[in-house]
Amino acid sequence: MGGYGDVKLLREDGLRLDGRKIDEMRPIEIEAGILPGADGSAWVKHGLNIAVAAVYGPMEAHPRKIQRQDRCVIDVRYNMAPFSTSDRIRPGYNRRSREISKVTSEALESVVICERYPRSKIRVEIEILSAEAGTRCVGITAASVALADAGIPMRDLLVGVASGKVEDIVVLDLDKAEDNYGQADLPVGILPNTGEIAFLQMDGDLSPDEFNLAMEYNFKAAAEIHEIMVDALKRRYEGGEN
Amino acid sequence: MVALVPTLLRQELARLAESGARLDGRGQWEARDIVLETDCLYNGEGSAKVVWGDTIIYAGVKFEMRTPWPDRPNQGSLMCSAELRPIAGRKYEPGPPSPESIELGRVVDRGIRESGCIDMEKLCIVPGEKVWGVMIDIHVLSDQGNMFDACALAAIAALRTAIVPAERFDVGEDYTLKVKSTPIMASFTRVGGRYVFDPSAEEELGGDERIHITLGDEGHLHSLQKGLKGVFTPEEFAEIFDVAQSRCVDLRKLVANQEGN
Repeated sequence: MGGYGDVKLLREDGLRLDGRKIDEMRPIEIEAGILPGADGSAWVKHGLNIAVAAVYGPMEAHPRKIQRQDRCVIDVRYNMAPFSTSDRIRPGYNRRSREISKVTSEALESVVICERYPRSKIRVEIEILSAEAGTRCVGITAASVALADAGIPMRDLLVGVASGKVEDIVVLDLDKAEDNYGQADLPVGILPNTGEIAFLQMDGDLSPDEFNLAMEYNFKAAAEIHEIMVDALKRRYEGGEN
Repeated sequence: MVALVPTLLRQELARLAESGARLDGRGQWEARDIVLETDCLYNGEGSAKVVWGDTIIYAGVKFEMRTPWPDRPNQGSLMCSAELRPIAGRKYEPGPPSPESIELGRVVDRGIRESGCIDMEKLCIVPGEKVWGVMIDIHVLSDQGNMFDACALAAIAALRTAIVPAERFDVGEDYTLKVKSTPIMASFTRVGGRYVFDPSAEEELGGDERIHITLGDEGHLHSLQKGLKGVFTPEEFAEIFDVAQSRCVDLRKLVANQEGN
């Protein structure tokens, strides 16, 4: 969190700079099955973020040392395209994308019924084509729609969503300015049907009460996003395609 | 991953070739459906998406401010590179850039650079101190055949929509990058013993060498590349060169239509 106090992020009328209410999400569009060569795929537009996820597998896990005798491993790669941000990103892995890939993989392993595929690997590729704050959450949402599209059994759809704090007010779904100049960011991955949490990160400064309110916003938003995800998957299989 | 080429596929492609047919029923020089969309990425200074059959490509243009090379103090630079990320298909694996993705980026780069469509001196801000570096990044989301042509189309379409972000760098007002021409690539792959335009993924799997031809507005050659194992005769080249001329005209119209001309 940058935490520069001199940038106004809330308007006189209490709305945010882009006109949203404090507990209002940016618009979300989801499409499942957009990549013909993948076993499962999804395209998610969340505000100005665009993420595309592909699933390949289950397939043989190699090298053999990564195999697990009783379950599959989920090999996640989160990557930002060079043109996804205002300053070009040099291609290739960096510390940030490695960390996000690791925790995303662990979150997905918590919802996929991995025991179904011993000694296998499921590849999950997340490409961020346009980034405007909250890309790890958009990536998680895209990845879980892609897994469902690939027919991988899961305990629930995992929904990525974030809340944060700007000008001492807890707000849902930070945009770029709020992320850069706000006081806290709390991205989580929620299983809407069970009410469990599989992904959690946070940085900044939140009181226990603020944390609880941010979580409340996140759960409310997760239920909304879940509906859009389910709708995208239903649309994919309407009309008898595949 | 090693791509195993089934003998049966090669035999079938050879059998079809005898009667001038293709696996998906297309003619020898017929392309799949192509959909081009430009200005589709918020953070790209220019951007394009190409859906060519089942092949899906994004290209984005970014500008960097840099110091000029000492031997060219009043010239900016242009670079085009391609990333074949593992999302592009089952056979692609993570790791440092593969020779294939480097070849892809460089062949597209040469076609655009050598066409002279960008005046490098126009990219100079302060001679000897500040110039623009134009970066075209190609992102392959789905490789289902004829990636080279799709990438080249996305790259030039993105470049032709680019806005120089001068305001963000505090050097005046934003303006449209001047791109003087539209270099277009047409590629041919030997399938079943003869060349075809726009091979599908299966045709590439069971095919042999490929030839990439980039032509400028006047039909002049700007880049050539032969890839993969195989040989060809001058007569064969003459034939595909003729086809390339007409295919490039068609593809150039697609780019022009996007710009509303």
